[in-house]
Amino acid sequence: MTRITIAKVMDSFWFKKSAPKSILTKEEQKFQEYEKSPFKDSETLNAFHIILLSEGLDLSPLFEEKKVEEKEELRFATTRPTSSVISTLEEMAAKSGNFSVKKSESRVRLQGNECGRKGKLTIEAEIFAMTPSFLVVEVKKNYGDTLEYYQFCSKELRPALKDIFWISPTDNSALCSLE
Amino acid sequence: MVQCLDGVKRLCAAFINCCDTEIYKQPKGLEDPEALARETVFSVSEIEALYELFKRISSAVIDDGLINKEEFQLALFKTNKKESLFADRVFDLFDTKHNGILDFEEFARALSVFHPNAPIDDKIEFSFQLYDLKQQGFIERQEVKQMVVATLAESGMNLSDDVIESIIDKTFEEADTKHDGKIDKEEWRNLVLRHPSLLKNMTLQYLK
Repeated sequence: MTRITIAKVMDSFWFKKSAPKSILTKEEQKFQEYEKSPFKDSETLNAFHIILLSEGLDLSPLFEEKKVEEKEELRFATTRPTSSVISTLEEMAAKSGNFSVKKSESRVRLQGNECGRKGKLTIEAEIFAMTPSFLVVEVKKNYGDTLEYYQFCSKELRPALKDIFWISPTDNSALCSLE
Repeated sequence: MVQCLDGVKRLCAAFINCCDTEIYKQPKGLEDPEALARETVFSVSEIEALYELFKRISSAVIDDGLINKEEFQLALFKTNKKESLFADRVFDLFDTKHNGILDFEEFARALSVFHPNAPIDDKIEFSFQLYDLKQQGFIERQEVKQMVVATLAESGMNLSDDVIESIIDKTFEEADTKHDGKIDKEEWRNLVLRHPSLLKNMTLQYLK
């Protein structure tokens, strides 16, 4: 019984078809996805979206033993307009010099210029306008090392947002609470 | 004679019922994981993992194999000093036997709805009941306001009554398609299908 040689396998049409043209790193793949899809239009939000901010409706702490002092997803509220929030984030990025900024009407994405411990730290801020005078901003880490993300939050994000955000004085956002 | 026997029978039945109440029953351990697995979205190994979690939560204050409200609050907020309208609603919905405590069966059945594989209709139903504070079969404007105010108070956010009213106006404009001042199950369903993000708390990835 003869077996097909490796050479012949590699030459077959199905092998060629399934072999990726280039091997992208996971990070690059994610980056490409973001590049391709335009940021979605922000949904029109309603009262139930506000209600969902409540801690009592989030059952995930049932599965975490220790107090989660530092949540990966952080929320802030502000009465400033969206444009003000976006420009504040841009200024912060420019000041630190470490991030490149991509933005849409309701999202700002900051990608670290240098590779950190687990790739380039990428943070996304999504702005939800409940009313023109009440915004909720959700900041989360899209990629990169969690510790670097927390450091970013305390050293760069928090000081930058000091003047325009309300705190959520729950324990979970202790990391990003105002003095 | 027949009447006498009947009386005896009733007495026996009452006696058995008495013995059968919660006071005398030891809470079951994990008696039949396969049965629970069949009746929920969980696999047997997921049920067993869930049972470990249940044991941990239920022994926090009173080690009796049951979760009381305080243990539930402790597990959720990491402090038993926090009261929450919503945590109360969740607890009540879990407590299908309405006896103020959660046994493992109730715990597993309720959490099954939060599994990523659970049918979306179950999630829609659960969330509707969650917000139907007075359990009248519809979500009233007053209930929505109560929940919005509670949420804002919880996080120290302050919005004027005008702003809150206008947010609720907008919400009802969109949701209350029958224009009767209430959101019924069908209207809720339609709203959620238009805004799937409204169900994001109804799925816990940890359950997989």
